[in-house]
Amino acid sequence: MSIVNLTLIVYVLAAIAYIVREIWMSVPAKWTSLGLLILAFCFNLTLVLKRSIEAGHPPFSNLYESLIFYACCTAFVYIIFEFVYDFRVVGALASVLAMLILLYATLQDDTIRPIMPALKSNWMLVHVITYMLGYAAFGIAFVTSIIYLVVKPFSKKQGDIKSGGSGKEMSVRNFDKLSYKIVAFGFPFLTLGMVTGAVWAKKAWGDYWSWDPKETWSLITWLAYLAYLHTPLVLPKMKVSKSKMAVILSFWLLVCFGIVNFTFVGLNYLPSAEDSAHVYGAK
Amino acid sequence: MMESGKGKSARVKNETVGEEKKINVNKSEEKKRKDTNKVWDFFCSVKLAVIIILVMAVACVLGTFIVQGRSFEEYTARYGYGLATVVRITQLNNVFYSHWFSLLLVLLCANLICCTIRRWRNTFLQTGFVLTHLSLVLILLGGVIKFQMGVKGGVNVYIGKSVDYFLTQKIDSMGRTDYVKKLLPFTIALDNFILEKNEPKFQLVTYVKDKDKQKILEVKVGKRQRIPGSDYKVVINDYVSDAELRQEPVNESDRPDNPAVFIKLLGSERTVAEGWLLAHANNYHDEKKQDLRLEYIWLPSQQEFDNAVTTVQNVDAKITASVPALGVLQDYSLELNKTFKLSGSEYSLRILEYVLNYGDKRPVSEQPANNPAVHVEIEGPDGVEKRWIFESFPDWDKMHPLKYENLKISCSGIAKAHMTRNVIRVYQAPGGNQQLVHIKDNQIVETMPWELNKQYSFANNDHQLIIASYFPSFNIKQDVVKKSDQVGTPAIHVRIDGPRGKKEEWLFANNKYATWYKDNNFAVLYESTGESIKHYVSDLRIVKNNQTIIEKSIRVNDPLKYNGYAIYQSSYDPEKLSYSGLQIVKDPGIPVAYAGFAALCVGVVFIFYVKPFLRKKLKKENEVAENEYS
Ligand code: HEM
Repeated sequence: MSIVNLTLIVYVLAAIAYIVREIWMSVPAKWTSLGLLILAFCFNLTLVLKRSIEAGHPPFSNLYESLIFYACCTAFVYIIFEFVYDFRVVGALASVLAMLILLYATLQDDTIRPIMPALKSNWMLVHVITYMLGYAAFGIAFVTSIIYLVVKPFSKKQGDIKSGGSGKEMSVRNFDKLSYKIVAFGFPFLTLGMVTGAVWAKKAWGDYWSWDPKETWSLITWLAYLAYLHTPLVLPKMKVSKSKMAVILSFWLLVCFGIVNFTFVGLNYLPSAEDSAHVYGAK
Repeated sequence: MMESGKGKSARVKNETVGEEKKINVNKSEEKKRKDTNKVWDFFCSVKLAVIIILVMAVACVLGTFIVQGRSFEEYTARYGYGLATVVRITQLNNVFYSHWFSLLLVLLCANLICCTIRRWRNTFLQTGFVLTHLSLVLILLGGVIKFQMGVKGGVNVYIGKSVDYFLTQKIDSMGRTDYVKKLLPFTIALDNFILEKNEPKFQLVTYVKDKDKQKILEVKVGKRQRIPGSDYKVVINDYVSDAELRQEPVNESDRPDNPAVFIKLLGSERTVAEGWLLAHANNYHDEKKQDLRLEYIWLPSQQEFDNAVTTVQNVDAKITASVPALGVLQDYSLELNKTFKLSGSEYSLRILEYVLNYGDKRPVSEQPANNPAVHVEIEGPDGVEKRWIFESFPDWDKMHPLKYENLKISCSGIAKAHMTRNVIRVYQAPGGNQQLVHIKDNQIVETMPWELNKQYSFANNDHQLIIASYFPSFNIKQDVVKKSDQVGTPAIHVRIDGPRGKKEEWLFANNKYATWYKDNNFAVLYESTGESIKHYVSDLRIVKNNQTIIEKSIRVNDPLKYNGYAIYQSSYDPEKLSYSGLQIVKDPGIPVAYAGFAALCVGVVFIFYVKPFLRKKLKKENEVAENEYS
């Protein structure tokens, strides 16, 4: 069996294990699910490394390579978070998310092509890695927002709080705050990604910002999350209740993740894509 | 930022600069002061910040969905006159350089500066806040300096020449592009230009017709690769880095199922012609200059043979159908619209039409016999196939996809209208009967038995004939040989498995045509991906007052910097490599913008990583003292 298929399967197994763990809440279930996800991550990382050895360049030169790396980052960031917070069902959806990204990668053209001169830069390396870590965090914030929006109507006002003050265990009712923390983790990566991208563009194309569609959309992504980060300061002043605000913010995060994905893979559909130096597959 | 809500009471207490207090103090003061306060509040508010951020985001979306910087005519063609006018007036054709977008950036700056001033507190925890907000002001300032004082343009320099100017683009409000020449305070000389290419790579492209899907397979010997979304599988059995196809005639057996003779026609000094004549395929050779025709005729029975060698029997116009795999073969005379059954097979044939010169629009009677062809309709187990059969190109169907590949059809004798004066027929029948017949003007002039490797001469003709070999079961064996160890013309031997069994074939990288699987729905093509560019380098020299100041080889990602100008490698002459395209940029705003970048990076890391960490520490210390907040 190919490594890709193996990775996909282990992601699915990890997702199942997370669901089992949600139902039984036992310690073995906890370690099985986390262990499976770590295994899937290792396979995925092998895939990335194998690819970059075969291609002879860092694996970010086309959509296929970026996607397998993105899946890998998603698993990685989730695993980090799981050590900090008690994540409950998030793990299931995070595994599914990583699996879907990888599955989408397998639909792409995986031909190894020689890398174009502009891509041979260390700035590019930092740029892609930080961006992918940021995107991965946003993917997980997307998952927590979905869970929050789905579970909220069913949860009672009080009760069901497991938090014993340790701050580690978290009730789904507080997932809006959790999403915020995850975005706060990812946002610096996004910012670093954008800045290193600008420095790299200056080196390769002579200008750090030229309103290229790819650049513009990464700015849109950044602005969308920036708005998210500032909104909690505004809404209370406008007499919006806390629970309403939580819903608005969670919903906005879904939109934000849509923008992330459009920036990542959707730019080919733009009428201006043909002019872009950076859109995958253009030219 | 969200923690701020939780910690507010603590902070008001600690830092005692709460907004509420400020407003309370101001309450008793004049109305005028109150109004200025309102404006001030507005410019400090996060509400304004969020609004600006969202409006900017929407502006960016518009700026990518509407193609930027095109001519008014192009917008008219895209959106119609009315909308194009709207686009022009609202400057949506140039969003990022429009007045309203600039206004937005000014507002953003004002907001950033005001909120920073208002929240200014001299505490370490505020570092991140101040850095991020002011960094954005710096970045925007850098952008303004670039816009006002920077230049960006390009110039092509020929090898061995130099330039002291470059061209910048200017787009007017109608979207017309103009080039403006800018002088440089120095000269750029191009000493050399080098383009380095990657080794050519080869790939196996596959194509599934009914899905219209192309997939490129890895060229890896022995790996079985499935074509996603279909039933086809491909294995590469062998790879030869520098291959040549050798074709060798062979005799498969003693059964005369495809008799052929190798004939040499000798002139007075040298061999005039030599080659194989196949009884069931190209069975004749015309020697135009000599007005001579050689024919090889195989007769399946003694009786027919006796008949043939004694009477002039012109080769009738006929088609020959065979299924070699089943061992069936049959001739049909050229009768239009009559259905023939090929006994022993599942096929029936019908001749639709014939022509003497394929593609000629004139009636058949007026056509020269240049390219005689027959159009045949075949009915078989999978429906009807229509096929053109060419008398002069019996192998045509080998090169083209067919529905019924195992059915071979050839035709002969159609060019009879154009009859040669001298004909030499090589007759052969089972049982060792073989006879040469010389026909002149439709009369038998002489007959003689023939043997292999003997010279025969004919009356009134100074040519001699040798029949050098006889293969009862002629076939061509294809062999791929390795010419060298280097990568020349590589070839792979592939095996395709699909709904109609397996097909094996050699694919050569220099063959432009795809190879089709039996069902004509799946094709493979082994081809070069073309030479891709590894890198390109320009050896530049900056000259001022006839003195060389700097020399540098620039490449993409590695520009030359001098006197505030940066010179980038951007393109080259793709045909003759005679010039190098340079991009020339001057941007005095760079230090400011980069300072902003650095501050932004430090700021965000501080806010989101350092500050929460410090907070936690502080909180723990405070918790001991006062147990005020949860
Ligand atoms: C990387 C970008 C940015 C980051 C990381 C950032 C972060 C922050 C933080 C940490 C606060 C303080 C919240 C608190 O503790 O109360 C804040 C407040 C604020 N930010 Fe930003 N911000 C950014 C960009 C912007 C931009 C672009 C604007 C305006 C156009 C803006 C306007 C404001 C305003 C008005 C406040 C409220 C200040 C106050 O409470 O008085 N910020 N921001």
